[in-house]
Amino acid sequence: MKQKLRVAIFDFADCEGCELEIADLEEEIFDLLEIVDIVSFREVMKEHSDNYDIAIVEGSIMRPMDEKRLRNIRSKAKILVAIGACATIGGVNKIRNQWMHDEVIREVYGDAPTQRNELFDVFKTKALNEVVPVDYYIHGCPPDRDDIKRVISALGLGKKPEIIRYPVCVECKKNENICQFELGAFCLGPITRAGCKAICPTHNSPCDGCRGLIKKAETECVWEVLQRYNLSYEDIRRRCTMYNYGKEECQVDE
Amino acid sequence: MNQIKTISKSDLNNFINKLIQDKNYEVVGVKSKDIRYVYGQLENATELRLDHDVTIIPPKKYFLPQYETLMEYSLEKQFDVKAKDEIKPRIIIGIHPYDVIALEQMDKVYLDSQKDDFYKKRRENTILIASDMQNVSDRSFAASMHTNTTDKGFDLLLTNIEDKYAITIGSEKGKILLEKYAKVQDAKEADINKIDKTRKKTVNKFKKKVILPKEEWPSVLVANYDGGIWEERSDKCMECSSCTMVCPTCYCYDVKDDVSLNLKGGSRIRTWDGCMLRDFTKIGSGEVFREDKKDRYRHRFFRKGNYLPARYGFVACVGCGRCGIACLPDIADPCDVMSSLAHHRKSDDTARFFIKQENKVAETNTIHVPRKATIKRIEKLTDAEKLFEIELDDKKPLGHKPGQFIEVSIFGIGEAPFGLASSPSDLPTFEIAVRKVGNVTSKLHEMSVGDKIGIRGPLGNGFDVEKLENKNLLLTSGGIGIYPMRSLINFVLDKKNRKKFKQIIILYGAKRPKEILFLNEVEEWKKCDDTICKLTVDRCEQGECWAGDIGLITTLFPKIRVDKLDSKNTIAVVVGPPIMYKFVIKSLQTMGIPDENIFVSLERRMKCGVGKCGHCQINGVYVCREGPVFNYKQIKNLPEAFE
Repeated sequence: MKQKLRVAIFDFADCEGCELEIADLEEEIFDLLEIVDIVSFREVMKEHSDNYDIAIVEGSIMRPMDEKRLRNIRSKAKILVAIGACATIGGVNKIRNQWMHDEVIREVYGDAPTQRNELFDVFKTKALNEVVPVDYYIHGCPPDRDDIKRVISALGLGKKPEIIRYPVCVECKKNENICQFELGAFCLGPITRAGCKAICPTHNSPCDGCRGLIKKAETECVWEVLQRYNLSYEDIRRRCTMYNYGKEECQVDE
Repeated sequence: MNQIKTISKSDLNNFINKLIQDKNYEVVGVKSKDIRYVYGQLENATELRLDHDVTIIPPKKYFLPQYETLMEYSLEKQFDVKAKDEIKPRIIIGIHPYDVIALEQMDKVYLDSQKDDFYKKRRENTILIASDMQNVSDRSFAASMHTNTTDKGFDLLLTNIEDKYAITIGSEKGKILLEKYAKVQDAKEADINKIDKTRKKTVNKFKKKVILPKEEWPSVLVANYDGGIWEERSDKCMECSSCTMVCPTCYCYDVKDDVSLNLKGGSRIRTWDGCMLRDFTKIGSGEVFREDKKDRYRHRFFRKGNYLPARYGFVACVGCGRCGIACLPDIADPCDVMSSLAHHRKSDDTARFFIKQENKVAETNTIHVPRKATIKRIEKLTDAEKLFEIELDDKKPLGHKPGQFIEVSIFGIGEAPFGLASSPSDLPTFEIAVRKVGNVTSKLHEMSVGDKIGIRGPLGNGFDVEKLENKNLLLTSGGIGIYPMRSLINFVLDKKNRKKFKQIIILYGAKRPKEILFLNEVEEWKKCDDTICKLTVDRCEQGECWAGDIGLITTLFPKIRVDKLDSKNTIAVVVGPPIMYKFVIKSLQTMGIPDENIFVSLERRMKCGVGKCGHCQINGVYVCREGPVFNYKQIKNLPEAFE
């Protein structure tokens, strides 16, 4: 048996729900521990080591101090995996990029003294790959547990995890769902990366695009559909703001 | 003439409930799901909706499931694999005639010379209780496709004739089922007349009608391959592939390895794939063969309206209208597309995109599970390439022809195709050369002598060596095209065979000197009687040692003399990267070598290797079946061959 891979799990600005998904592997957590040593995982353990092969990082980058910390992680990790929408595409944290820095601070903290405090020294939200190179991505908000397992087991076998480049519709149709559009809803499934087993439309909720867009919203085909369903460009822009603000489309390998 | 019975509505319910109670069967049927219908397990006859218009996806899912485990394997032991074999008898109730016809079509594809064993077992273990249409989806145009009724393909067929149902018996299996469980009466003439009346009444419910009769689809499509309609409509395509997912005649699939988190074992999963997706044609090295969405859009219509008709004799659209419902920009409906081509040109040359070829393929028990083999020898060729000598564990010779290929499995990682690099022999070993590009090739490079791998094949159409006899041979290869070419060269230069062929000229080009492979063998080839061997590299950097020519492969042609008269007696074989063919073939033509004397070997994504999964198609041709070796004259008119 080869030496076990040493894995460290880190978080930045986010809800820590992705870490929870890992912790929530339940009895399979033991399967995971058979193939990797988890050397750092703030959410579930006290121990910490800076000696790791794989860094699994969740959360967005908001401040110079985050950037510095991420670069440090990158320099130690042979493989860096971004997990969850905040890390992979910026996700909900990017919603605030619509406003000016001062407006955001005032809205959240009012008149509290935030100046000259590095904790409040925020810039526009960045996904991890806007700061350092990212090797692999586990998309979603939260990520699908099978997708987490798929990527980790691939790394354990020494193979490149497959990058899904087809839209949610493929998985949605396999699940025999009635199309959200047919039900009168507006769904981003046709332009969103699959891999989630179409969980939202399967539970009768339209796709919000948490795994990133694989097609630009400004293409003729999207227009055609918007018009057909009496939607406007403003509708799709607003819809994409939730997870994909300021992002035209994901690079194919993200 | 089928035997016809009648059954009262309450007795039909009793019949179905008795079937449900019989634990030998899983009983599924059409049920409602919100505003639509789906096939699902029946708990009670009252759930069955024989009045449905159309289901979201077709009953194809019971024969080629959305996700299907083909085999399970252990990763703790080397090569410990078991084919999945849990196929429970099933009864499907409520299938409309167009879906019955779609299944009969699927039989042609999946049960032809290389039978899909999983599909076959499911087919044999399924009883189909079809139902004549009572209601019609707004998008269906089955009546104009003559698929709204059928008199075969089912075990039983139910027709609602006012106060009761007529049951047409289509098979012995169906008859036995009725005798065992149903209280039926013989149909009277009045009942039979009512069946006709019901069917006629249903025809009036169709809102859509295809103007171009399906018999004319192949001839109209072939004449309009370059028509503007493909680009115009595909501009609106979102490439979501929903159209192929819901289609009863889309059978393409992908195969993936799924490994347990503890890496102790895994399974090989087959799942639906769609030709509208860009990665459908992507190979290990990253090349995509149907890059333009216009081409993918056109491919779907040609596959249904021209390619499958040329191969199997049926138009692979049954008019169910599901794709029309599923397509958000509404561009997928064949009724609209083919109707808009109604007054367009036609061509009698309907088989233009197809190559008819009778490959003799030995029947096997399984087309999926590989044979166990052992790596016997590994030789490093370059930094990125290795040669593997492999032996089947049953010690049988592989029995291949030069030019054929195999699928190599590494459980947990996946499967990939490789051209055979060794000459056929009676020995149990054979060779492949492997460039490290993807997951399977990288893993192979990490493996050691004695490691176990899986082999499927030999597959495909190799070189017809008898046709090469008594001819001069001009063998041109570029880059890793030398892999399969080596198989042919070593065959024709073999002392046993050499006399059968006249002069042999070997031309071989690589990008750089360090990428020239099999240099030792090249020296041996040069020593053979009446054999010329010339090498060239595209470029040679300072400090690199190189005594051969520098320049593209085509610069070698003026340096060999092929007599004009003799060119008719010369067979040229070309294997190389896609870009090479155009230029080399032009040179060959200049030399006066007729197109029918030129053979090429083409690379595509050969996934299943047996003409099912659809990934390797060049127009109507499966590279894994009709190729990878093609006669140039036959393939040159296929627009997708040398793009």
